Amino acid sequence: MSVRDEIFEIRNLDVSFELNRGASRVVRDVDLNIHREETLGIVGESGSGKSMLSSSLLNAVVEPGVCSGEVTYYPQDGDPISVLELSESELKRFRWEEVAMVFQGAMSSLNPVMRVRAHFRETLQDHNRDIPAGLERARELLESVYLDPDRVMDAYPHELSGGMKQRALIALSLILEPEVLVMDEPTAALDLLMQRSIVALLDDLQEEHDLTIVFITHDLPLLTKLADRLTVMYAFGIIENGTVDELLYNSSHPYTRALLAATPDLNVPVDEMHAIAGSKPDPVDRIEGCSYHPRCPIADEHCRSSEPPMATVNGTHESACFYHEKAREAVPLRGDSKQEGAVHE
Amino acid sequence: MATNYLAKRFGQAILTLVATIALSFVLYHAMPGSPTESLKNVILSQQAAAGGSTVNIERLNRLVALYTNVQPDQPLYVQFYQYFSSIILEQDLGTSIYENKPVTTLIFERIPWSMFISVYAMVVGYSLSVLIGAVMAFKEKSRFDSVSSVVLIGLNSVPYYIVGILLIYFFAIQMSWFPYGGRVSSSVTAGFNVPFMRSIVMHAVLPIFSMSMLGLGGALTMRGNSVRVLGEDYLRVAKLRGLRGSRIATQYVGRNAILPMYTQFMIGIAGVFSSAVIVEQIFSYPGVGLLMYNAIQTQDYPLLMGSLIIFTTVTVVAIFIADLTYGFIDPRISAGADNE
Repeated sequence: MSVRDEIFEIRNLDVSFELNRGASRVVRDVDLNIHREETLGIVGESGSGKSMLSSSLLNAVVEPGVCSGEVTYYPQDGDPISVLELSESELKRFRWEEVAMVFQGAMSSLNPVMRVRAHFRETLQDHNRDIPAGLERARELLESVYLDPDRVMDAYPHELSGGMKQRALIALSLILEPEVLVMDEPTAALDLLMQRSIVALLDDLQEEHDLTIVFITHDLPLLTKLADRLTVMYAFGIIENGTVDELLYNSSHPYTRALLAATPDLNVPVDEMHAIAGSKPDPVDRIEGCSYHPRCPIADEHCRSSEPPMATVNGTHESACFYHEKAREAVPLRGDSKQEGAVHE
Repeated sequence: MATNYLAKRFGQAILTLVATIALSFVLYHAMPGSPTESLKNVILSQQAAAGGSTVNIERLNRLVALYTNVQPDQPLYVQFYQYFSSIILEQDLGTSIYENKPVTTLIFERIPWSMFISVYAMVVGYSLSVLIGAVMAFKEKSRFDSVSSVVLIGLNSVPYYIVGILLIYFFAIQMSWFPYGGRVSSSVTAGFNVPFMRSIVMHAVLPIFSMSMLGLGGALTMRGNSVRVLGEDYLRVAKLRGLRGSRIATQYVGRNAILPMYTQFMIGIAGVFSSAVIVEQIFSYPGVGLLMYNAIQTQDYPLLMGSLIIFTTVTVVAIFIADLTYGFIDPRISAGADNE
């Protein structure tokens, strides 16, 4: 993180879906800054709004979802771009040239009737790039994700394994040299070994291509290896921000602490792992006060009636909890007693 | 291996043809009376009508052999061998009893006309259904979608020959826009001239239209396929990649949605001739279908067997071609054949 300026600035972002039983607000009033060339990990349980938040970076929230608020992209040079206000044709250029995305279900992300080469070629062609030079670059990219370009370029998707498809897709996402790579659970369907190798690969690629990576997962241990900063989402909003170390050793929101305590670890006896009691709120419900108050051990009248603002804990570390100073004692982590981060292997 | 797949398909095609020829041979034998007994009767009655007095059994057997390629005085296996070899080696399908012309001549005279209407009917039917289906899927749940669904289900439930009769009633008899039968007007001179070709087209419009109703049911399939493809991950990624809309519509949605329809199309080829028999009868369109229909009426067995063999050959060849090209359309098919 040599340059500490913002590449994305999200303000008051809302994403909602109209359902028969009312509007389902799956992202609620989110503010977030993404720094240039950092790896930001977004973590949260299923259905907490992570994917919707990341899709809105490309204004790609699936129909019939509606995005409102501001998503501003700051290119290396040139004027800031307001992503949600781009026209259809501007959006086509913006996508993949500035921000590329690899998302859940990479297994089926390639057109089954086209060779891998054709995927590269059409992407280059529709973005008016030099095709021979681009295909040469594609070969280099495939090599850098440890694939044999001769074999993979001529292969159909069904001839590749899941891990190979995933890596080919990562290569495809970098073909237009984007500034930002959004990865929405890219490793969810892969085995552990493949997950680790892709994470290592991303580290290399980031250095090589000066990428900003936004990595979305519910796999907290995986993020700690990869990310510079973490953002924790709960119930459609962001509840804590900070560097990996700040969040791991000094998390100041009861939910983050509970999430850490719930992380499975083979070295810890089962009775020391704690599931979080209760269940997450329905996206249609309006939540009064702090979204976590029904499940929070230290919630009081204040938490039930008003929504806690993002408060600075120290430096870059922010937490949306009135009692962030008390959270540490209220929700102890197993690592606290052993003076060793249980999650940080 | 690709060659393995080819060889397998080719073998299947040959086997089907051999089986058909064998079946037609069996049918000759299964005819009322004995294999050729009824034919002898037919010839006898013709000769009696012509005033012939002497009946020579040898001459009768020769005549039967000439008409059917089946030599009644030989043992069964010899009969079969000769029947088979004359069809395969000499392309001799026998001689029509009533027209007294070689069956092959009769059929090949008329095949271009049948091909003309059935090929256009399939092309029109399937292109329309692909187009309508795709538009319905893109405008899913719109008014167009629901109205066309109802209309298509209605058309699907009405047999194509009813459609044909209705077409004749409205467009030929009531409006007199099109002729209601025949394949060309007798008032124009045959040849490479505009009135002649115009007449051919005018005569073909109604049969083609009513036959294309058969393929139109594919629109609902196409709609279903397209809706499924529209929800696929690779479509979302294609949009995220900022690809052109036209490319997404053709290469992504179109191609993947048409794939399953190709099989339906192949099966449709087989249905074309069977429907031609009825459609050509309704429109008194002198193609192979009408020829076959008349052959049934007059019990012209050699002509019937000949058309059976020719129909099967055309169908088998069409399916073989479709099989070969399937691999180009769907790369997963040839790979799948390896595993067998």
